Amino acid sequence: MQFDSPSSLGWLALAVPIVVFYILKIRLRRQPVSTVMFWTQVLDEQNPRSIWQRLRHLVSLLLQLAMLLFLALALADPFFSWEVRSARRIVAVIDNSASMNSTDVKPSRLADAKRQAEQLIAGMRHRDEIALVAAGTQPQVIVGFTSRQKTVRNAVQFMSATDGPSHVSEAVALGRRLLGERQDGKQQEVIVFTDGRFDGVENLSSPVPVANDAEAPASGEALAQAPVKLQIIGTRTANLGITQFQVRRSLVDPLGYEILAEVTNASDQAVECRLEVELNGEAIDVVPLKLDAAGKWSQVFEKTSASGGHLFARLNYEDTLVADNTASAVLPRREVQPVVLVTSGNLFLQKVFEVNPLVKLTVVAEAPATIPAGTVVVYHRVTPEKIPPGLAFVIDPANTSDLFEVGEPIANPIVTRQDKDSPLMSHVRLDNVLMPEARQLTPTFLDQTQVLAEAVTKEPLFFAVNRPEGRVLVLTVNLDKGDLPLRTAFPITVANALHWFAGNKGDLRESLAAGSLATVTSNDFVRPAKGQTLVLRSPAGELMPLPASSDRMTIGPLDQCGLWTILEESAGNSPAELTSPELKSETAIPLLEIACNLASATETDVRPPEELLEVKTNVSPIMAGLGSRPLWFWLLLLGLILTTVEWAMYQRRVIS
Amino acid sequence: MLFDGDFLKKLEYLSLISRRVFRGSVLAQRRTKQMGGGIEFADHREYTPGDDFRHMDWNIYARHGDLLLKRFQEEEDLHVYFLLDCSRSMGFGNPAKFDLARQVTAALAYIALADLDRVGVIAYSQEIIADFPLTRGKDRILSLLRFLERLELQGSDTNLGRIVSSFVLRPQRRGLAVVVSDLFDPNGYERGLDLLRHRTYEPHLIQIHDPAEARPQMLGEIELVDVETDSVRKVTITERALREYRRVFDQFQAGVAGYGKKYGLGCTQTTNDVNFEDLVLRMMRAAGAVN
Repeated sequence: MQFDSPSSLGWLALAVPIVVFYILKIRLRRQPVSTVMFWTQVLDEQNPRSIWQRLRHLVSLLLQLAMLLFLALALADPFFSWEVRSARRIVAVIDNSASMNSTDVKPSRLADAKRQAEQLIAGMRHRDEIALVAAGTQPQVIVGFTSRQKTVRNAVQFMSATDGPSHVSEAVALGRRLLGERQDGKQQEVIVFTDGRFDGVENLSSPVPVANDAEAPASGEALAQAPVKLQIIGTRTANLGITQFQVRRSLVDPLGYEILAEVTNASDQAVECRLEVELNGEAIDVVPLKLDAAGKWSQVFEKTSASGGHLFARLNYEDTLVADNTASAVLPRREVQPVVLVTSGNLFLQKVFEVNPLVKLTVVAEAPATIPAGTVVVYHRVTPEKIPPGLAFVIDPANTSDLFEVGEPIANPIVTRQDKDSPLMSHVRLDNVLMPEARQLTPTFLDQTQVLAEAVTKEPLFFAVNRPEGRVLVLTVNLDKGDLPLRTAFPITVANALHWFAGNKGDLRESLAAGSLATVTSNDFVRPAKGQTLVLRSPAGELMPLPASSDRMTIGPLDQCGLWTILEESAGNSPAELTSPELKSETAIPLLEIACNLASATETDVRPPEELLEVKTNVSPIMAGLGSRPLWFWLLLLGLILTTVEWAMYQRRVIS
Repeated sequence: MLFDGDFLKKLEYLSLISRRVFRGSVLAQRRTKQMGGGIEFADHREYTPGDDFRHMDWNIYARHGDLLLKRFQEEEDLHVYFLLDCSRSMGFGNPAKFDLARQVTAALAYIALADLDRVGVIAYSQEIIADFPLTRGKDRILSLLRFLERLELQGSDTNLGRIVSSFVLRPQRRGLAVVVSDLFDPNGYERGLDLLRHRTYEPHLIQIHDPAEARPQMLGEIELVDVETDSVRKVTITERALREYRRVFDQFQAGVAGYGKKYGLGCTQTTNDVNFEDLVLRMMRAAGAVN
């Protein structure tokens, strides 16, 4: 036996005062009384003193010395050499991905995994170390190596479920790296609590080949040798889920939108169910489905709505995984845009605005003196010398203004380069469009100018000016002589321009897969006033602060299915109101909403691989026995037991 | 100093308000059976020749023509004996029980002297150790106080029966015998009191004990030292033993009270933490001497 802290044996010196006090205690305290006749009467009625009573002082002394011995030994922290030799270092990987929320194992696979992990922790022996790694959404070390069971047990209990994808392979690699950082001869092992629904499961349990590379890190051998045991949780239960739910604007109808929905049957039997699609709680479509075993169904719905709202798709089918039975999308509201067309007359130009249901068109011959904010002024040919502040679309300018200088006409310009990345040129091709008599334009402020299309002679034909007073678009095309008005590129260009002027309001943000990161820019919503803070509200109502001043930020991972909301936290909305399950519209107006769906065929298929189910029982739990506690614990326990015995004896002979 | 000027003032005050203590009905009322030259009318009897004409009831003779002689009860002074326990057990407590015993004795003696009764004090422990002979008159109080103050605790075997045996053999008139003691008598206090009763004394008990004697608090391994006999006993006192002690002590106290009640004796039980004047007033109230 060895001691970690042999100096603590010095506490045994306390035996000296104990013995001294014992000897002193033999000389009893003298208590004068006026008469002993009453005491004689009382004590003579009691039993005569037994041998035990005569020896009890000596027994008490021996008990106290034994207590001291045990406590001093406990402080010295003794251990056996075999304890060091058999110590283990374990990485417990818990898969908390979406499929682990399946309820085929009650109450859920994740709860069962946590229960089994707690059993593993309870079976830890003294000097064993364990680390905890979460394998859902993002591999994450929850607790580093520790031998303190309570810490790991608390971490397991507080590990939350996610709807994100499984990353068990990455988590195992992370665990192996943790093990590789420590090389002290302990037995190493990675134990994975999972349902087996992740990529690379077939290769995981086999050891990684030893790297032959001479430059491999020192931990390479450990990485290779750390065995992985899979504890498979779950049954081959059937599940039906929405694996795709996306919405986009219609290319032909400004008010229209298209929904792509896909349903996957992850079971071995054919299934019949219904898919209901709702917009703001009102059903807009119901589709009866009949899916073969392991079959898929997908369809595109074309709908129209100017008001926008929340789109939900629901499967009326009860299975063990709830998260993929519902999918959502956010359909922004389409705003009507006022447009003032200043022209001496051009039917194409007038009609291209009139046919747009989102445009409120006013045609005038001369530029108005005052322009309401948000109004797009289209200057056709007649261009003021100074473009007024606000939004302006200059088409075929005939004269010079403060933003550009008009030069000589270009005979037959051919567009040889156009900015394909700009939203203004989305779905627009101008390379074969005839533009006779286009004017040569020279932008005044080159630093604010973005050329969208230019001729082979490098003259800009279509450019945007991002001036502080308002955005300006300039298109130098003679609409009467060219064939642009006859091309589909013309209405698309105008629609893109109006959309650009509107500041991308009404842009559709695609629904994200759970576990994704989302990038939010300053164009996505109106920034809050100074002093106000932004918070990100999860579908469950949890609040996370966001930086208010950043123009571009990445939020996430969004590991819960549902609507994530960016809110402005102010005096008007208390945290309690913001975290309530149902966010009231009068309490807080969302600045931005992001739909998040499971959208993963891997997670929807909750059936563990059959071959893993067969070897499931091979992962034997670690049995603790008496060795789960250090020796000092038992010594301390013995000391406490002796203290209790001595206390009881004292009570018996003195108090009671 | 046990008896100072303030003490004397308190004695005077008590004597003024307690004229009737010894003439009252509780402590002892003893009027002589002899008819004689008193002033209190007793009854009539037939006139026989030779009787003193001065005692003829002439009013009855005038009305009925019968010669009747008026008889008067002759008064005589009361003898009050104080049997004061001076054993070492009386030194127990803070203040000592003995101090209160002497103060009460002095107070009652002063009241009796003020009432022209005769007072004697017999100090005893295992035997009679001092004697203040029968005396009369308030002017003797200072001598009495000096006597009480000089008394010392002594003796190792209190025996009230033996003391009373020698006390009753004295050639003296019967009277009130006030026993001031803790009555912690291993041989039993009843024998001495029985003897007093049988010899037509009127015993009155004033029993004093210390609260610590009634409710001791010590626990554990203890050597009990009897202050009277100096005997030592090693005991282990537990809570149960304490409870049993309290029961035995309460039983003893109830026995003392029961003895007094059984034989119609005056019995005052008190602790030593009371003032003597409060105790005397309490006794007088019990006797109906004061309101």
